[in-house]
Amino acid sequence: MLLLFFILSLALSGVTLLSRNRGLTRAFALAFSALLIAITVHAWINRGNTELTWFTYDSTAVLLLSVLTLLTLPTVYHGFIYTRDDTVKRLNIYHSGLIALMTFMAGAYLANTMTVLWIFVEATTLAVAVLIYHDRTEMALEATWKYVFICSTGIALAYLGILFLGFIYGRGDAPNLSFSSFSHVISNANPLYLKIAFIFVLVGFSTKMGLFPMHTVTIDAHSVAPPPVSALISTTLMNVGFLAIYRVYTLFSGTPALSFMSNVLILAGVLSLLIAAGYMLKAKHLKRMLAYSSLENMGLVAIALGVGGYGYYAALLLIVLHSLAKSSLFYQMGQLSRILHTFRLDESGRYMKLYPAGAMVLMTGMICILAIPPSGMFISELMILRAMVVNGQWLVMALTVILLCYIIYAMSTRIMHVSFSSPRNDSELLQPGMVSPVETVSQFILLALVIMICFWQPPFLTDLISTSISSLPR
Amino acid sequence: MVNYLIVLFAVTLIYFASAERLSTYVRLVALQGLLLCGIAVFELKEVNLANLLFIVAETLLFKTLLLPYLLSRIIRKSGVTKVHRQAVSGFYLLLFSIAGLLISVILAVILVNPFINSIYLAIALFTLLTGLLLIVTHKLIISHLIGFLVVENAVFLFSLAIGNEMPMLINIGILLDIFVGVLILGFFGLRLKPHTNELTMLKD
Repeated sequence: MLLLFFILSLALSGVTLLSRNRGLTRAFALAFSALLIAITVHAWINRGNTELTWFTYDSTAVLLLSVLTLLTLPTVYHGFIYTRDDTVKRLNIYHSGLIALMTFMAGAYLANTMTVLWIFVEATTLAVAVLIYHDRTEMALEATWKYVFICSTGIALAYLGILFLGFIYGRGDAPNLSFSSFSHVISNANPLYLKIAFIFVLVGFSTKMGLFPMHTVTIDAHSVAPPPVSALISTTLMNVGFLAIYRVYTLFSGTPALSFMSNVLILAGVLSLLIAAGYMLKAKHLKRMLAYSSLENMGLVAIALGVGGYGYYAALLLIVLHSLAKSSLFYQMGQLSRILHTFRLDESGRYMKLYPAGAMVLMTGMICILAIPPSGMFISELMILRAMVVNGQWLVMALTVILLCYIIYAMSTRIMHVSFSSPRNDSELLQPGMVSPVETVSQFILLALVIMICFWQPPFLTDLISTSISSLPR
Repeated sequence: MVNYLIVLFAVTLIYFASAERLSTYVRLVALQGLLLCGIAVFELKEVNLANLLFIVAETLLFKTLLLPYLLSRIIRKSGVTKVHRQAVSGFYLLLFSIAGLLISVILAVILVNPFINSIYLAIALFTLLTGLLLIVTHKLIISHLIGFLVVENAVFLFSLAIGNEMPMLINIGILLDIFVGVLILGFFGLRLKPHTNELTMLKD
């Protein structure tokens, strides 16, 4: 089934590129969505099973694959709207790249060895580069260049981390770098090697997770990428980076390197929060502000992992909910740019008057992403703070709370300004565009799911997260 | 013999710090490709012939011929011959490079492991540091490209160290990395203005 999925997906990506008809291209994109739904159902049915030697439907993989599948149809739908004025060639390139990106992300989630995971992560870089360059502007070229260059350097560093794992393993066993076989021999490994391998993996895959110190690459990509693509870069693609780091963290968690890894993650997390707070306070571009919000959330995820205990559950819950809330905000950016013709804060305003449905998405999304009740993210952030209290991490807690206050202030004042105030600089104000409120339906559904989690967590979700973290130390 | 080649490889890295002409950089990249090919041939005695041919083709075709050719094309197009825009002066760069070599040797001694030759480890770490140094201390995009290729060579050298038991998967990984290298050089190298550092549009 998985082989069929990969073959059909890549074939669909290929034929989309060659299509000469807009309707056919859209049909291929929808067919891919159906295929992704099918493989997700298959993954749920076969949880715990391995297929094609290198892929396993474990709980973490199924969880993240389900998030990707949930976002597929809204992404494809908003992609249709974004590309409706494009030429057939550019429409084809966009959807072909999108299909390839989602296929590679699915492969990365399901990979059960570091090498295969690394190959899929590298492949996502190429696919997403095509999508960032979609508008063919000088800015797009610059952002794409930075993305490919820094990601490739980062991924080369991650590869060094994987090779260090090979050194730990020894030559005879090197081909079996699977997570399960690794766990049997890892306890005898030299902790220094484990620490170096973890540092390489963390720095390398931070380019994908958008975590400090490699966060700049995704921030720039967001400035120019089409909004539906930004939605994927900021959510499911960041989840790919998270998964790679999480896999190695889980693998090493039973070794003396655990405390070192936790401290490094907390440090990276706090620095991410600091950078996010600082830049959000001076943000002048709406999409860049949302990108810094993603940096903030990934920082919180890193802190949660580092703190441990309740933090493990909170980290995975935050990853899921952030994906839903942030993607809906990025989809909304597509409509906002059609109404206001800009992403610049100085030139934005009166959004509630011009497009009430969109402004409601912005307001609700802001409440969700800032973890203000009734957002489900409030639960996960509360759990992180609880884990800090239980583990006596008072300094980290104080820093986190202070920085979160700055972030709440920065983001809420800017969203309020866009929704209710007049533009500060209206000299170049264009005639507001017209957008149907129906386009916001998918965004409201995703935000409703985030709010629902605050009151009720479905048993399948808690079960999936609990199983995912079962191998981590209590 | 392998040790001589590795030491020669280290010399090319020190040369990177002192060179001022872009054409010298290109020759050094080509020479590194050739040296990596030699190291692979002498080191990988236990791999099968097909795998060895694959690695030799990778190093000879991509690293020694194609990538230097693309770099030369970019340099010819831009008309810039000297690396005259460094964030730090050449003297300090040389000092940093030597410090990098010392750090790499110390790390390799600390990380002594029965599965890996310490000389390999030291030079691979030194290659990585040199690549990152080229990226961080140079302002021209073309220098960044060359720094990236040096980082790729570090990865290759590391993977050669455990290459005898390497599965084909790692070769695919290396090939994919080279593919990205070609993409960066072939596409961006020619479209961006590689002789400038005009990447300033995206900022807060």
